[in-house]
Amino acid sequence: MASDGHPPEPGKKEEVAATAAGPGANDLDDPQFMCCVCLDLLYKPVVISCGHMSCFWCVHKAMHIFRESKCAVCRQPYKHFPSICQLMHHLILKLEPADYKRREKEVLEEEKRIETYSPQIIEFLNSKNNVGNNGENRNEDSKTRPPQEASLNGSIVDVHSKKIKLEDVSCPLCKEMLYQPAVLNCGHVYCVSCLPCLNEEALKCHVCGSLHPGDFPNVCLDLDHFLEEYFPAEYESRGQKFQSKKGECNREGSSSGASSTKRSSRAHRVEDISNIHIGVGCDSCGAYPIRGKRYKCKDCTELIGFDLCEACYNSSSKLPGRFNQQHTPDHRMELDNSALLQRFLRFPPEEGQQELMMEEAVVVPGAMLELVFDNQGMAGNDGGPGDAAMGEAVGAPGDMLHIIIDDQEGMGDNGEEDQEA
Amino acid sequence: MASGGVARGRLTEERKMWRKSHPHGFVAKPETLPDGSVNLMVWKCVVPGKEGTDWEGGHFPVTLHFTEDYPSNPPTCKFPRKFLHVNVYDSGDVCLSILGDAWKPSITMRQILIGIQDLLDNPNPASPAQDLAYDLFTENMPEYRKRVRQQAQRYPSLV
Repeated sequence: MASDGHPPEPGKKEEVAATAAGPGANDLDDPQFMCCVCLDLLYKPVVISCGHMSCFWCVHKAMHIFRESKCAVCRQPYKHFPSICQLMHHLILKLEPADYKRREKEVLEEEKRIETYSPQIIEFLNSKNNVGNNGENRNEDSKTRPPQEASLNGSIVDVHSKKIKLEDVSCPLCKEMLYQPAVLNCGHVYCVSCLPCLNEEALKCHVCGSLHPGDFPNVCLDLDHFLEEYFPAEYESRGQKFQSKKGECNREGSSSGASSTKRSSRAHRVEDISNIHIGVGCDSCGAYPIRGKRYKCKDCTELIGFDLCEACYNSSSKLPGRFNQQHTPDHRMELDNSALLQRFLRFPPEEGQQELMMEEAVVVPGAMLELVFDNQGMAGNDGGPGDAAMGEAVGAPGDMLHIIIDDQEGMGDNGEEDQEA
Repeated sequence: MASGGVARGRLTEERKMWRKSHPHGFVAKPETLPDGSVNLMVWKCVVPGKEGTDWEGGHFPVTLHFTEDYPSNPPTCKFPRKFLHVNVYDSGDVCLSILGDAWKPSITMRQILIGIQDLLDNPNPASPAQDLAYDLFTENMPEYRKRVRQQAQRYPSLV
């Protein structure tokens, strides 16, 4: 295996490079559409509010089970698992049909294994892909009939082999080609300059009506660069138009570049996490983990279940589940505290449940907790949810959870944490 | 989410990318088990000392140990035991920001190895991992440099 470490024989360079990398390795010459987590072609891409994107499952598996998660590229914190960006999904499907089909097959195998499925997307790439409905359809029975994506059908791949049109990448508000595109939590894409026009109080998607949680999303630079390369003339004219009416619909605090979010310099931040449901996310807004009340569906039979946060439960959300669940509005919902962190702290883990090692502690509601995972002495290694997010074990084996309780009544710290230099 | 888990899928892609192109003088290959099979979770690597530094000429063995949590969690990187460097523990474990607090899943093996190469001649005395190297580095720089050059000679290129 000379190519692993040493240069190949003279004259054989090209041959070795082509064969060693394996089939399809040269398909991804454009790193724009490569997931930075799995290093493969983006599959069902989701765009985080910082503007960086990864595959649906790559983001989900990297999210933290009880703390806010951090972007795989820039480490900007985020608390919501975004919906799939259909526009990006269809662009990649059209540009890389063979590779996308391969990815689909691989992912579907793994989804069958874990009996949990990502949303099915059946819309065609057309002018409605960014302005139509949510496009995430459900099957009659996801247990027996896993989702079959559109691209697996040969005739549909042929349709996608046509050129990308301008209307495929248009903004739902200004109806022109996207310029400096930003993706909302629901997965719909707008020009960043159009976002302030959506709503004064909160960003409400013009397409699906869902509210965008948190701050303004940043420009999705990968998509922006693609549009600039693919439609150079149109992009330039859009840029000129944008400059001329720059101040027209401006809003203080909107960001069109790098995030202005200040990151805490403290190694361990103190926050009230006594009301966090470990490894459980809201299937409507994507809040992960759920904070406060959690409502669980009594009728959904899928392994991953169907959960709503209090806000989505009260708003009678009609959005489909994040994992292709067969949830319908007539299903019964109930309050569920089985994954509430308070329970883990109040009662010692049952025998055999060694995944989360904690001292028994009673937490007063509203108490401020400081939790630090200690991965066998390696400070700073944030444990991602991994399969815990799939409703399995909480925490990694061997992780020690240090808890400092401050009930704001002079109890003080129980001990000092060693901070890595 | 390639078949067989995120970590193995990612490492398979890293291997493809490495074989396609990698920085000159570096070696990275997964461990071969006695039965001839490949263990993607342990990589045997070689980091060359930078030209124009006291580390030049040395080809230093580094072992990367990946867990099933990769790339959510970083690998552990080990030099041989008693390796002389301010930021390398006696056990050989490397103390490097990108392998701890500054870890991001987007960091690749290539970046890790280049980061380690850079660390060799740019130690961080604010985060010492061994007494001997730290004492020499802060109190007797000529002796430190001499020992580094001797160490480089002990790890010649195997090619």
